[in-house]
Amino acid sequence: MKIKLFLQIIISLLSFLRRQESRIFYLSFLFLLTFNSLAFAEEKIPVFPTGPVEVYTIYTSLAVFWLAIIGLIVVIKMKLNEIERIQKLGIDKEDINAPLLD
Amino acid sequence: MIWPKFKDWIDERYDIAELKRLAKSKLIPQHRYDFLYYTGGITLFLFILQFITGMLLAFYYIPHIDFAYESIIDIVTKINIGWFFRSLHHWGAQLCIVFVFIHLFGTLLTKSYRRPRELLWVTGFVLLVISIFFGLSGYLMLWDERAFAAVRVATGGAGALPFVGSFIKIFLRGGTDVTGDTLTRFYAFHVAILPLVSMLLIGLHLLFVQYHGMSIPVSLEGKDHKEEPFFPNVFYKDMMIWLVVLGIVMTLAILLPPEIGKKANALAAPPEGIKPEWYFLFLLETLKLFPGSIFGFNGETIAIVCVSMGIFFFFLIPFLDRKSNRGERSPIFTVIGVIYLLYFITMTLVGFLS
Repeated sequence: MKIKLFLQIIISLLSFLRRQESRIFYLSFLFLLTFNSLAFAEEKIPVFPTGPVEVYTIYTSLAVFWLAIIGLIVVIKMKLNEIERIQKLGIDKEDINAPLLD
Repeated sequence: MIWPKFKDWIDERYDIAELKRLAKSKLIPQHRYDFLYYTGGITLFLFILQFITGMLLAFYYIPHIDFAYESIIDIVTKINIGWFFRSLHHWGAQLCIVFVFIHLFGTLLTKSYRRPRELLWVTGFVLLVISIFFGLSGYLMLWDERAFAAVRVATGGAGALPFVGSFIKIFLRGGTDVTGDTLTRFYAFHVAILPLVSMLLIGLHLLFVQYHGMSIPVSLEGKDHKEEPFFPNVFYKDMMIWLVVLGIVMTLAILLPPEIGKKANALAAPPEGIKPEWYFLFLLETLKLFPGSIFGFNGETIAIVCVSMGIFFFFLIPFLDRKSNRGERSPIFTVIGVIYLLYFITMTLVGFLS
């Protein structure tokens, strides 16, 4: 009995949706949906520049920055290796008995 | 030509050669845990970065309930690369607290706190508390609903402490609730009181490090180990690590700029699914473990007391670990340290994922 009632409701609903007058229903539903989504859409504050040129500049700068960091690290490492080599040879210490050149 | 003259001018007045000799005479032990020495340096570097970016943000920030939120939006949207400095300040703070924790647990597990370095531990521990309070006070500066709710919860939690809780809560809030007075008070803490205290403590901490020298783990004490001069060897290594950290902070600042929520409204309900900053998650999850009432007593108060006792015990470890102070191994305190570490990580992860 319940199933029969349920099916009747479904059939009447579907027949309504197929009718010509149901266009108003569709339109009002769409209108409400659009209105609601606009009214309740949370305005997101842009915390990052949105312009494509700015975005491109920022990412390029980041890449250049990393290259500079790597370059600096390589230079410091080379310098450190040289210091360690000199320390291993023991020639970094001041010789107190070294004769002074006048 | 100006540089040699300037150098001579300085040399006449100050014994720079002696300072150089002193820097070269400072030796740093080399062993398998020596990477932990660099965590202190990284924390210092991030503190400096926070000071610089914070000063730049302070030029434009307005610490008033009606303008705070708007001034941050102005910084992000109107000021030239303001968004970048705000993001840098945010990520610098996050990484700073991460490295403070790594430094702390590294010190704990290698027993670097042992005699005669107890005061190093004390100053470091107070600096950790200050860093967290820096984070909390800086968080409110945004004056959005998330920050508002988080500060309300945090100061409310402090209020649950017996006897002194109510006083602490009212002192922090500047009243009974989080209002514009709280913002003014937190701003004063964030830009004046905390920087001053932290600078003094950092100075003291560094002074103690210089005075005592670097600590070595108990297991390596008395054994032969290599040493290298602080200047230039370790100094250059520090420079390289600092550069990498700077790169990481900058990358995070660009790729993940922090969002800004809705403006705080004291009358509105707190947003759903709100979570505090990650370093408070373990506290929040601990509080959740306790029922509302235990033997007729307020569950939250008992939870806060238990957490406070746990933190106080943690603080007292250098004074309780007698074996380490005698230069002996103390596995009990290693286990305690590991338990603290695992608890912190687990509860933070649980809080993050739940």
